Amino acid sequence: MATHELLIAPHRFAVGYHRQTFWNWLIGIAFFLGGVGGGLFFVSILTGHVAGMIVAYVLLAGGKNTAHLLFLGRPERFLSAARRPDRSWIARGIWAMGIFMATGIVSILLQAHSKWIHLSEPFANLVFALAAASAFFIACYDGFLMRSSAGVAFWRSLLLPLLLFMYASLGGVTLSLTIRELRGETFSPILPSLERWLLVANFFLLAVYLYRMTHSFPAARESLREWLSGTYSRVFWGLVLFVGLVSTLLLSLAHSTVESSVLVVLIACCELIGDFSMMMLMLKSGLFAQQVAAAFDSAKSSA
Amino acid sequence: MARLGMVIDLKRCIGCNACTLACKQENATPEGIHFARVVTCEVGTYPQTKRMFLPTLCNHCSDAPCATACPTGATHIRPDGIVMVDHELCIGCRACNVACPYMNRHFVEHGLLKHGYSSNGISPMEAIKFLEYDEGTNIKCTLCAHRVDQGLEPACVVTCPTDARIFGDWDEEDGKLRRLVKERNGWVLLPEYGTKSNVYYLDA
Repeated sequence: MATHELLIAPHRFAVGYHRQTFWNWLIGIAFFLGGVGGGLFFVSILTGHVAGMIVAYVLLAGGKNTAHLLFLGRPERFLSAARRPDRSWIARGIWAMGIFMATGIVSILLQAHSKWIHLSEPFANLVFALAAASAFFIACYDGFLMRSSAGVAFWRSLLLPLLLFMYASLGGVTLSLTIRELRGETFSPILPSLERWLLVANFFLLAVYLYRMTHSFPAARESLREWLSGTYSRVFWGLVLFVGLVSTLLLSLAHSTVESSVLVVLIACCELIGDFSMMMLMLKSGLFAQQVAAAFDSAKSSA
Repeated sequence: MARLGMVIDLKRCIGCNACTLACKQENATPEGIHFARVVTCEVGTYPQTKRMFLPTLCNHCSDAPCATACPTGATHIRPDGIVMVDHELCIGCRACNVACPYMNRHFVEHGLLKHGYSSNGISPMEAIKFLEYDEGTNIKCTLCAHRVDQGLEPACVVTCPTDARIFGDWDEEDGKLRRLVKERNGWVLLPEYGTKSNVYYLDA
């Protein structure tokens, strides 16, 4: 009995789905930090929260960039990656990161010590706008980059950039709340409410994304099977769904009645674990198509 | 203007992997990297089974997703349609690896060029060819551009004992590639990915 149609191929001479192993955990960390950092900076600059802006700046300029540089085969040439913004999402990301690093630090200084830096109001507003826009872009572009990676069918959906942006927003809001809580700062009740709405929205968006994959390419359906009942089902059901969304939502609801810093930290931990697990799952479950399908179909008909 | 490509006749392929070895020898690819592969499998249900061989190589797509994904322009398409990598420009981001649905991009890991294919160190051929590769960058099938530029056919084509690989120019109106594909309903791998592949297959 031929068994070629469902197996993960052990090597490149074998038939079957091939795992995406090129983008590894370093890219997972970079994308995760890009999402959380971009989301946090965006939320913080909109609410004028300096501590959040500083943490986000460290996550992006320090964390994301370091992970990317460690991943590159030739990191000393990284600036060349900015050459093709007309067609490459990596190049666009480099430009956005450059703009963010310049305007982000000025925004922090303006926000924290406005007496130190003297900028005219229109120019200061322009700097804030550029910093916010570039942080927003950084939170989104990894999704577009993955979507444009044509080889992995599971990523080929317009919903992916939206899903990653929603996760970025959720991570940003959660971290913002945690930083404020730990620093004993007051915050608008809109933020916890927004966090809960984002959790519900992410749950439905994830469900829609997975449902859409049932109508996608065969390799995407196999990836979906790996999420739901295959190799990665424990990570999906346990970490992404239960810890990342359900537990976070329940703890967030509990926090609305019980004031506790421990609870806030726990919420942040659960959300970040779910967020990171989802990103790693996206990368690890990416499969290349069985490119021999057409050949085998024709051979089967003549066998 | 030319658009070089290949037709692979699956009826002729006997799965001998001579193309794999010829490519390996011609390009002295590092250990574990094969530009030309023959995927083998059995299809059907006993007793009506058939052994299937599918020779593969870079499809040198006209709409190459690897070239689009490349942020530096290291991956580019020559005027004759051959997709090449400039390893001086490649940063090793592996965007091309995940962009190519045919998995015909290969990353040269650090340390890979320090030893040859055999356990006896680096052979003289590898010592010469390894100069063309760069650790931490991507390499791929060049359709033996160094041979094509001299008017020769790729190594996998001239080595094939059954002439299963036919090399030519798709832009030749009455060329053998177009004639074969028209006569025998040639098809490409993964047409749904819209890469405009320049490697066609003929049914077994």
